[in-house]
Amino acid sequence: MSTQASTSGSVNEARGRRSAEDVEDSKKHFRVCRFIIDTGVKLGMRSVPMATACALYHRFFQSASLQVYEPYLVAMSAIYLAGKVEEQHLRTRDIINVCHRYFHPEREPLELDGKFWELRDSIVQCELLILRQLNFQVSFEHPHKYLLQYLLSVRSLLNRHAWSRTPIAETALAVLKDSYHGTVCVHHKPQHLALTSLYLALQTYGVQLPRGELEWWQVVCADITKAQIETIMSELLQLYDMEAKCT
Amino acid sequence: MNGLVVLDGCADDCTMSVCVVSEAHAVMPPLEQFMEVCFEERRELFYRDVERGDLVIGRINSVRDFGLFVTLLCTAGGLERNIEDLEIKALCPLRCVPSTGNHDDPLSYYQIGDLLRAGVKGIDRYHEKLTLSLYSSSLPPHLDKVKLGVISKEDLPLHYSRGEKVTADSSQTYEKLLESSLGLSNPLNVDYLLGKLGISDTQTPSLMRGLQSKHFKEDDFATAIRKKQSVSWALKCVKVGVGHFKSRRYVEAMNEYNKALEIDTNNVEALVARGALYATKGSLMKAIEDFELALENCPTHRNAKKYLCQTLVERGGQLEEEEKLVTAEGLYKRAILLDNTFQGAAEALAKLQLRIQKSLELKEQEAAKEQEKTKTVETSAEKLRKILKEEKRMKKKRKRSTSSSTSSDTSSTSSDDDSSTSRKKSKKRKHKRRRSSHGSKKHKRRASSCSDKMADDDIEWFPAPANTSASYIDQKQSISKLISEGEQSWEKSRCEDGRGRLDDAIDRSLENLKHGAQSETSRPGRPNVNGEVRDQHRTQSISECARNRRDSSSSTQSEYSQKSDRYSKEFSSQGRDRSESERGGNEKMDRGERNSHDKDDGRKSSGGSLKKDIPSNLLDIFSQIAEFEKEKKLQK
Repeated sequence: MSTQASTSGSVNEARGRRSAEDVEDSKKHFRVCRFIIDTGVKLGMRSVPMATACALYHRFFQSASLQVYEPYLVAMSAIYLAGKVEEQHLRTRDIINVCHRYFHPEREPLELDGKFWELRDSIVQCELLILRQLNFQVSFEHPHKYLLQYLLSVRSLLNRHAWSRTPIAETALAVLKDSYHGTVCVHHKPQHLALTSLYLALQTYGVQLPRGELEWWQVVCADITKAQIETIMSELLQLYDMEAKCT
Repeated sequence: MNGLVVLDGCADDCTMSVCVVSEAHAVMPPLEQFMEVCFEERRELFYRDVERGDLVIGRINSVRDFGLFVTLLCTAGGLERNIEDLEIKALCPLRCVPSTGNHDDPLSYYQIGDLLRAGVKGIDRYHEKLTLSLYSSSLPPHLDKVKLGVISKEDLPLHYSRGEKVTADSSQTYEKLLESSLGLSNPLNVDYLLGKLGISDTQTPSLMRGLQSKHFKEDDFATAIRKKQSVSWALKCVKVGVGHFKSRRYVEAMNEYNKALEIDTNNVEALVARGALYATKGSLMKAIEDFELALENCPTHRNAKKYLCQTLVERGGQLEEEEKLVTAEGLYKRAILLDNTFQGAAEALAKLQLRIQKSLELKEQEAAKEQEKTKTVETSAEKLRKILKEEKRMKKKRKRSTSSSTSSDTSSTSSDDDSSTSRKKSKKRKHKRRRSSHGSKKHKRRASSCSDKMADDDIEWFPAPANTSASYIDQKQSISKLISEGEQSWEKSRCEDGRGRLDDAIDRSLENLKHGAQSETSRPGRPNVNGEVRDQHRTQSISECARNRRDSSSSTQSEYSQKSDRYSKEFSSQGRDRSESERGGNEKMDRGERNSHDKDDGRKSSGGSLKKDIPSNLLDIFSQIAEFEKEKKLQK
């Protein structure tokens, strides 16, 4: 009995430890993703390359361990690689400058000396590492284009004044952008994610859409159920909670 | 983005319809259709949401004399709804149908069954009535270009034709349609759609507290940091360059400066350092450019100002040596403006101004000397002018009783004052001439013809330019006398308004001569003589021609009332041609003198020469007039 209890206890402990680790890890990931998005804004990255960078990061750490690889370096390399993949090429010099300032806001920009070139080398090496880790499959299909198409279609259902009064498009896009703090992007189909963002935005403002035989989201995505939407929504909302915990 | 030629992806049909379609994004049929919203709701929603200025497409179902009745088919802009089966009828009244200007009945252009695109003009939501218009004024400005009126099936909007396909084939879901549409695979569709929805891509909103735009500082952005980094990197290069410069390694220094400027264009320190290097090496203009650019970017840079002043002064010195005194003065003034405490500039400017003054004085002295010289030599032109003036005065004194022109008096008095000194010297000779000219007119005529012929012969033998031999001067004087006399006689014989004008013109010409003489005397001696000799030549050659071409002289008189200058110039050219054919040598000399004179003109202002031209042309005219009179007398 005691051994059983102890084993169950230890199992629970192990599970607890694991979940504690997971929580810590997810917090770490959250912070790094925040770092990626922040840097992306300062570099003037567009939405899709930024999304690719985050997706690369999440994918990488699905199969790699945080103890082995420095996450911030991976993040910087992910940004660099994403710029190349999505045709918004970024200079390593700019990436290093912004990241250096992120960590050391009080210092002057780095001198272009040996240390700088070493950093640059390490970014390039890490890039190669990411590519290998992901089996060179670095092109993603992002929810953005779907979301925008859905937005157009839904807009036609609404009265134009109601549309201009409520910032549905901005909210949906904001929700989508924030979803990249977590792993939602790699666990769900892009159409579903797009749909859920829009659903969440519409619900937030309490917008009533006309009813027909089918709900609008049923039309847009035939294979999704209400439950799935709810699940994704709760995951998205959890991210906002996490912000309070992490930062 | 617009007008992509797209192979419409109708995989079902195996037909590839090539259509020009704006498909930067997937154009989908209205969601209502997929949702199968019920009839009443759709109708209600349509009447709630349709606004003035929306585009609709419908089919004409009856043509009445007060307008057209249209059953709406689909919306074409502003609203995207599925309304075909709602059977909404709208009226397009006659006043909203544009006339074609052919005085036909405008309604005759419309048939039942035609597809019509119209703008919504008025809505009665309560009674569910729509009024349409075919005038583009009913549309909002951004839809201005849309053609209203009868359209064909091809012009039906894409979302409608796609919607038709969907109704025909129920397996076409929204998803399938979206996936199959080409617009979705457009890599730039995200950017396009964001633009369409009015959202900027680099500043997308976020709901996270930490990602709000107010938390981002301008300094943290990549471009700002890069700029700072470039500046410090460039400064490093400049420091190294200055080190090279001090050790006299100019080539390396220049390389460093150029490198610095590549890293950070318009870097102030680099520009100043490079400017200093240029100045030291002697390329002052490049140095000035660099300093100016540096001052543009940073107007308070002390070194830039200082160096610029120094360089300007140095350049001024260089220009002074090249005799470009005015430019040098400009540069010194600029230097003083920049930094009025700079002693070097003020001193240099003072020195330069003194120098300019001195040179001017020198020139004046020379000119005075020249004038004296010419007075002693008594160039023929001078004498000619004096004589003409004398004659004029005499004539005026005689005519004062008859004519009433007062302007001539004033001008003659002015010319009197001016020529007082020179007149005294040549009084003796003038008196001689006057005595010979007095007498009967007929005598004069004969004498003139004889003397003309004499002059003619003499001119033939006239050897070289710039020759002011006494014999030549005498002859010239006689000819000029004749010209003036001829002009007098012509005046007396012709009582026209032209006379008064002739007087004025002559006075003006005399004044001009005087002015011309003055400006000429201010120049150094030699070209002066050439110029005058040239004038004489022209008058000589022309007087010969006047004798030869008697017909033209009459026309000269008639045209005198018009622009005399122009004609006389033309005549002088003709005269020149004549002299070419007859006296080749003469012409060559003419040319030679003209060339030398032109060169002089190039060097100095040409104002004086213009003034000289006028009197010589007038003299030509006078000679022609003299000739004409001679002929008349002869004929009589």
